Amino acid sequence: MTTHQAGAADTVSAKVTGYGISYAVTSILSALLVVLKESNEGVHGLMVAITGHHWVTHGLLDVIVFVALGAVLSRMGGGIRMTGNALIATVVGATVISGAIIAGYFI
Amino acid sequence: MSKELILMLHPTFGVLAIIASVWVFVEALNASDANIVRLRNASVLAAILMWSAYIVGGYWYVVFYGGDKTLIKAGPWPFAHSFFMETKEHVFLMLLLLATYLPIAAYGEVVKKSATRNLVLWTSALVVLLGLAMEGAGAFISMGAKVALLANQI
Repeated sequence: MTTHQAGAADTVSAKVTGYGISYAVTSILSALLVVLKESNEGVHGLMVAITGHHWVTHGLLDVIVFVALGAVLSRMGGGIRMTGNALIATVVGATVISGAIIAGYFI
Repeated sequence: MSKELILMLHPTFGVLAIIASVWVFVEALNASDANIVRLRNASVLAAILMWSAYIVGGYWYVVFYGGDKTLIKAGPWPFAHSFFMETKEHVFLMLLLLATYLPIAAYGEVVKKSATRNLVLWTSALVVLLGLAMEGAGAFISMGAKVALLANQI
């Protein structure tokens, strides 16, 4: 996970890693928020109250979490590092899992 | 601008974003000092086009979709809304973030490190696949509205 654990040739930069992990985390959180807001009137109502439409609030939250978490992870401890293959697996895995959660909920 | 034109702009920007992502994929296959600027420009273009699709489609969805939603849900293909639209509107948010991440990855050490190059390849491929899925879901939603209108005429 850190620079010391992964060979320099196989790692990607701290910024690319940080925002990649941020994408994965935000993607999963976003999918879970779909389930939460669709199954809880209170959460849905709160999201409507914030911007006037639950989907607008949802998109805004996603962008804020992605940018903020990416900025933090890129700088944390000189920047988090992973091997390229691990980061690819994280990004692809999060996309598949999030997509499955969302599609599975609405089936 | 008519609402129909706004609606047409959404898949248009989407298709152009897919094409730009294919362009990034191809440039990444042969990444070198000779094409890195082109690769990065294409990745920024893909992100801008995906954001354009999101803003235009989002505006139409929030302002105009309510009528279509009622129509589709009462028609022969209610799943065009309950599954395809609901899934599309939320998966699109992931796609937007992924398209935003593409230039971030492309501005990494794509030429020097195969790890970064492979990441760009996978990310651009995911944008293309999710983009095509969005286009397909959009087709189902349009057909849902069409069959509902046809059912009303009979």
